[in-house]
Amino acid sequence: MLSWYALTLTDYVVVGAAIFLAMFLIHRLLRWFGVGREAATGYALILPWLIGLVVWNVGPFVASLYLSFTDYTILKPPAWIGFDNYIEMFTDDRRFWRVLRFTIGYSVINVPLGLIGALITATLLNQDVKGLGIWRTLYYLPAVLPAAATALLWRWMLASNGLINQIFGPVYSLFGVDKPAWFTDPQMVLPAYILMGLWGVFGANTVILLAGLKNIPRDLYDAAKIDGAGRISMYFNVTIPMLSSTLFYVLIIGIIGSLQTFTQAFFIQHTARAGTFMSVYIYQEAFERNSMGYAAALGWVMLLIILLFTLLVFRSSEAWVYYEGERS
Amino acid sequence: MTDTGIFPARKRRRQATDSIPVRVLIYTLLLIGVAIVMVPFLWMLSTSLKDQSRLFIYPPEWIPNPVRWGNYKEAWQALPFNRFLINTLFMTLLAMFAEILTAAIVAYGFARFRFPGRNVLFIILLSTMMLPGILTLIPKFIMWRSVGRIDTFTPLTVGAWFVWGPSFVFLLRQFFMTIPREIEEAAIIDGANTVQIFHQIMLPLIKPALLAIGVLSFQANWNNFEGALIYLNTLEKYPMVLGLQFFGASLSREAPQWHLMMAMSTVMAAPILVLFFLAQRYFIEGLTVGAVKG
Repeated sequence: MLSWYALTLTDYVVVGAAIFLAMFLIHRLLRWFGVGREAATGYALILPWLIGLVVWNVGPFVASLYLSFTDYTILKPPAWIGFDNYIEMFTDDRRFWRVLRFTIGYSVINVPLGLIGALITATLLNQDVKGLGIWRTLYYLPAVLPAAATALLWRWMLASNGLINQIFGPVYSLFGVDKPAWFTDPQMVLPAYILMGLWGVFGANTVILLAGLKNIPRDLYDAAKIDGAGRISMYFNVTIPMLSSTLFYVLIIGIIGSLQTFTQAFFIQHTARAGTFMSVYIYQEAFERNSMGYAAALGWVMLLIILLFTLLVFRSSEAWVYYEGERS
Repeated sequence: MTDTGIFPARKRRRQATDSIPVRVLIYTLLLIGVAIVMVPFLWMLSTSLKDQSRLFIYPPEWIPNPVRWGNYKEAWQALPFNRFLINTLFMTLLAMFAEILTAAIVAYGFARFRFPGRNVLFIILLSTMMLPGILTLIPKFIMWRSVGRIDTFTPLTVGAWFVWGPSFVFLLRQFFMTIPREIEEAAIIDGANTVQIFHQIMLPLIKPALLAIGVLSFQANWNNFEGALIYLNTLEKYPMVLGLQFFGASLSREAPQWHLMMAMSTVMAAPILVLFFLAQRYFIEGLTVGAVKG
């Protein structure tokens, strides 16, 4: 048993020592080629990241692009099949479309709702409330829970005889509906995930937006007041524009994160088949069904979707994000 | 550093112009919000102390009667959680040390030294934050497999030497840039070399930022599920989070034992909650620094 730890410890020390040695050697080498002292030191210092960029990002990135055009089961060498994986995905794989719709639906609903809720809360907290630190702690608390714990907790909260159904039992009977089965009901699995997702990110977003609000210079409000601006008009003409770059950040981070939901989804065991996230689907294809080539193709489609959404938000941001430095 | 509202740099008092009803409304709404946020959390704690026979009582019982601390012991002993804890601590400590040290070195290089291509490289560094992890996971798995390191702790620790968190580099670089250059120049005149300056002068100066990313790094490694799921197969090598998943899956085959699952969820969350109460400002600093900078 101890040998497991010894093996990794050896790997760890060898690789660490090799990195520092490489930094030292590259510095010597660059100096020998006549590179200035400052530049040589700079390159040597960023070397760990440069190696990482090639080995952990660019290499795997290119490799996964290649694999996406192959049939690969890890036991035999990859066989080139051209666009077959992509063609199968778009024409023959009904599960793919369901997964895609579910993942995007989750992101598109969850992120704006979380943003608006957090904006309202942060605005309320910014009204000179007493004991701000305590409020902030309480709101932020759920966001520090591990994703694994959050998922198990919500599986319990939303169990058919869990707390949510108990509390809302009278409401259900008032409207004459059965209590929902949430995660196991194809109709309700999306709302269930959204509830859990909102609870998880809400506090973190609130803290970020509150920091943004606190960062708005007071004199802007004083100036607006002198101009006779009312409270509401001040909020929409001063606060929101000044906060827009922070809102933009939260939006981007939220979209990228929610499209990649993995751990929570994996911990919610008995979901309806309708409720599978893209990352989980890729994992299942690669490591349960052993079709690594197809999984790589799915990964590339996912990357393109993330890029597309990011690009859309960036494009739209030109219309609504206000950067102080650009003032003409 | 700009004021992120965390460190009480300046006190700003606004004359309370709101009328009493408005204040009452604000506090009422905030209280409702806190209730919504805290109910699931308290329900987790409450359930973890319940007797199995009292899980589904209606109306819901908030204070368990009887209080069963034994749930924690029972859950802990259902699987080799002692071993899982040792594994988690082993991997977390190794990964944290390498990750933070290399992030600081790289950030120092980007912040203080001029070299051709620096800005382009820094933009590349920022853009790697957007790469979905699952995309590069398959080639990485094949790589570790080809060097015979599947089902070892190596893939989950050694990679940290190559800067796992580009966001950490970004955060530390921001911090380095706030330190006046005169401090280093004085040290150079005294004959100190780059390693000495970095180790004896710069690292102590950026201690708050190191603590902020230390907290983030601890959280990320403690919770690292995806990597552990893919690289580890033997039960005795599992970290806590994978043990928890196995625990949940194996216990829910028949009737889910929610009281035990909530006990283990609480255990899983406990170190992070303790850290949160001890070092809250570093959590918030790490969280907000990217956002408020814009």
